[in-house]
Amino acid sequence: MNAEKFEFVSSGERSDQEILRKSLTYWQDAWRRLKNHKLAMVGLAGVILILFFAVFGPMLSRFSYSDQNLDFSNTPPRLKIYQLADDYYVFLTRDYKLLRVSGKGEILYRIPIEHKDPVKKIYTFKDEKQNMLIALDFSYNILPGKKADYDYTFSVNGGPEIAAHHKKVFNRTYPFGSDVVGRSLFVRVMYGARISLTVAFVASLVNLLVGVFYGSIAAYEGGKTDIVMMRFVDILNSIPLLIYVILIMVLVGNRGLWTMIIALGSVYWVQMARLVRGQVLSLKEQEFILAARALGVSKHHIISRHLIPNAIGPIIISMTMMIPSAVFTESFISFIGLGVSAPMASWGTLANDALSGLLSYPYQLFFPSMAIAFTMLSFNFLGDGLRDALDPRLRKG
Amino acid sequence: MKNYFLKRFIYSLLTIILIATVTFFMMHSIPGGPFTREKPVPPEILKALNEKYHLDDPLIIQYFDYMKGLFTFDMGPSFSKIGTSVNDLIKAGFPITAFVGFLAVLLIIILGVPVGIISALRQNRPIDYFVMFMATLGVTIPSFVLATLYIYFIAGKLDLVPPFGLSTPVSYIGPVLALSGYSLSFVARLTRSSMLEVLRQDYIRTARANGLKELSVIGKHAMKNALIPVVTYLGPTIAALMTGSFVVERIFAIPGIGRYFVESVSNRDYTVIMGVTVLYAAFYVMMILLVDILYAVIDPRIKFEKESN
Repeated sequence: MNAEKFEFVSSGERSDQEILRKSLTYWQDAWRRLKNHKLAMVGLAGVILILFFAVFGPMLSRFSYSDQNLDFSNTPPRLKIYQLADDYYVFLTRDYKLLRVSGKGEILYRIPIEHKDPVKKIYTFKDEKQNMLIALDFSYNILPGKKADYDYTFSVNGGPEIAAHHKKVFNRTYPFGSDVVGRSLFVRVMYGARISLTVAFVASLVNLLVGVFYGSIAAYEGGKTDIVMMRFVDILNSIPLLIYVILIMVLVGNRGLWTMIIALGSVYWVQMARLVRGQVLSLKEQEFILAARALGVSKHHIISRHLIPNAIGPIIISMTMMIPSAVFTESFISFIGLGVSAPMASWGTLANDALSGLLSYPYQLFFPSMAIAFTMLSFNFLGDGLRDALDPRLRKG
Repeated sequence: MKNYFLKRFIYSLLTIILIATVTFFMMHSIPGGPFTREKPVPPEILKALNEKYHLDDPLIIQYFDYMKGLFTFDMGPSFSKIGTSVNDLIKAGFPITAFVGFLAVLLIIILGVPVGIISALRQNRPIDYFVMFMATLGVTIPSFVLATLYIYFIAGKLDLVPPFGLSTPVSYIGPVLALSGYSLSFVARLTRSSMLEVLRQDYIRTARANGLKELSVIGKHAMKNALIPVVTYLGPTIAALMTGSFVVERIFAIPGIGRYFVESVSNRDYTVIMGVTVLYAAFYVMMILLVDILYAVIDPRIKFEKESN
């Protein structure tokens, strides 16, 4: 064979072989796919928004979650204000407290009551600063013979009756309204997000650690160890978890954040263990594990460096799905009265507190419920997107 | 196969016994007892009470006494409701709870499954989007919110149904909706996604190519495989629904057994805690067994001998 038979590759042909695009790592590829998933990005934005409000919200507001003002209890998010004089607006609460508000909707102070006439249904309020005597007549539609399309009227210093409300404004002092002891619901929902999300994140993290540890050991050891370990999981799976959570909460005692985390974390790791076991079982038969074993890599190293990283996709997906269900469970437990104790609040306790005054103050239930639903939606969207991004085999049609 | 079921049955029984054991010792390790009051009970009375209910026996004797009772379906007297036995409480409450739960299960099966199938058959059409939108809402709204909203609007504002109790047939609507809301949405989503997966498989194409009617392709061939994950999910769900939800029963003031789940723990009403737990566990374990049997009916590929190893 002589050298003339060979020729140099032209530069054009050579560049055909070059890899122009940078090769993507697993995570870059996943991120690229996730970015194309619109709902997942909406979910991610929602999660970031919730986290932002939970972390910074309570810091930026002028009330703390436990600041209470009985004078301003049960004010709704929309105020129906009456103009009694120039630049003098009032708002009447459902329990007949008269509050002076500004035209923009800031609650200024409570106008003290001077005289009550429960028979004629006339209350008199006295604003000493303005030297005004305000009479409130709420006999309409209560006493016979007095029918009107309004429920009450005001009159200032014996002047003409004012029946028509001036306008409806947003409550500037308490954007979501205030609760039964006059705490800002807005701040409490944001603070509740802290509690609910902390419980959810930490409990999910505990579940993750225990589940991954337990599942990978059961699968890798196999044989009798596997059978015994998984039987235990089966049993744990077939008990009413709610009762156990309640038992653990009562057992640990104080109704704090940690009790809830311990209760949720010690019970709900079962699914994660099953998932990891399934993944490891299928992975451990593959050649790269055989190679690692042949090279004398330690068991610990094989599990932590070879098996778990290869199963990380489904683990992360399951983790994202675990967080909303932990939020859900936490709110349930709080709702039945076993959650964090007052004045702390989680979304579940807020919903529970709202229950007694539901027919009069429905907004107190509305906002925490919205927060729960919004969180569930965001995490579900993100989880769906992550599933498509991290595990293309599971792609939905 | 007979052997397999016998084995499974014995294993289920063992599970129930184990659960009863764990619950028994866990519950006795909670500080306080059924007769702990804010105003302390005089020691003589406390002693007499403990003697009457055999609470002064060593724990292990109490345990064997209780298990002996359990095997004869005698769950002992309730501590907080004097004069009633746990059997009475369950007999009074369970039928109500189970009936509401049964209606919820029925709703899930006759509404959730067909809606999921229709949604899969009309993929990416308006009806699919609508169903998925509702289903997504359904899994994001907790049942207590659903229940309270229902009471607020339907019973409160519109005054269509009585807000509490189960006095009339229409008053079942609220509890059943609130109880089934989450699972209904979940089943619809699950049915849809598993149906979509099955429809893409070769044997469906073959069935269509052979000129089978669409109804028979979907109803006979696709359904069987598509329903396997649904059956898996339904088993435990039925157990959970039939034993009731504390929250829904509390909101609608239903006199079922759901309330004992929490009440009994805070009252340290030992026998009631045990009763509810064992009832739930037995129900749950049996449901899972039933699901496994159903598998055999739906999917003959599943080999029991192999699984039992």
